[in-house]
Amino acid sequence: MHILDVVQNSLAARATLVEVRIREDLQKDLLRIEVKDNGRGIPGELTRRVTDPFFTSRTTREVGLGLPLFKEAAERCRGHLEVESQEGQGTKIIAHFQLDHFDRAPLGDMGETLAVLITGNPEVDFLYEHEVDGQSYRLETREMREILGSVGLDDPSVLCFIRQDVQKGLKKIGAATFPKIMEVLK
Amino acid sequence: METIKTKSEPGAKRISLAGEKKMKLKELAEQLGWELKTPNVPVEAEVRTGYASDLLSDVLANSIEGDLWVTRQTHLNIVAIAVMRDLSGILLVNGAQPEPDTVEKAAEKMVPIFRTPLPTFEIVGRLYQLGIVGER
Repeated sequence: MHILDVVQNSLAARATLVEVRIREDLQKDLLRIEVKDNGRGIPGELTRRVTDPFFTSRTTREVGLGLPLFKEAAERCRGHLEVESQEGQGTKIIAHFQLDHFDRAPLGDMGETLAVLITGNPEVDFLYEHEVDGQSYRLETREMREILGSVGLDDPSVLCFIRQDVQKGLKKIGAATFPKIMEVLK
Repeated sequence: METIKTKSEPGAKRISLAGEKKMKLKELAEQLGWELKTPNVPVEAEVRTGYASDLLSDVLANSIEGDLWVTRQTHLNIVAIAVMRDLSGILLVNGAQPEPDTVEKAAEKMVPIFRTPLPTFEIVGRLYQLGIVGER
């Protein structure tokens, strides 16, 4: 949910490349989610204020409640949110969570999220990287474009492919797990 | 049951705001029109108390065994919480649909999941009227 919101900010900032990187460190019990774009960025002093719900919901249209809620979710799970941005260059949002925290909601269906984002914005390039303890999965639309040739990224078969490939890839690396909670459910 | 005591009245009477009683999950579901999302899980258990919260750590800390849990969260972790705390069941509010893996695991772990179109405030009020209380 949060990832979709943050990427939507990037798209609203007219990014042509959005990079989503997720890293799960089971030893350190950390989850790091990074969304980086090459959009128009946030003017200097506003960077500090994008996580303030009153500021963001009232004056800027492209940044809604997404970031304040993302920040709250991270902090509730003993983490924090970083916002780095340069006007005209792009924005980088990094959220840190305790991986095994009870209040950390699951990442959700990343296959579905990416399929919707990619096919809904065929003119934008996406990079998705998910790493779990050194093993990683990667999806890159620039590579896909080369393979697809004249077939567009908004083709229904592409939607299907992305969904399945992400699901399969994440399963293979053992992504998005809840070690402690899952023990109860074994 | 709510306990109201004031310092000016030592030994003030315990005032019951609801007719505290036990009811079977099945009866509650019938009377309040809930949909059972886990048809194979028995719903004969008797319920006396409930807890309403969407923060899983809060439920883990403050629910008691046998509580009916009222929540808007739908992901798999709610089943884990219900198992850990021995809750009698989970009631999803606002017409929320549980994720498929939530239903699957709930059926396996014998945790009944119900669904109501009503919001938390309203359904908790109706449960209270039927005698289900939040006393810890």
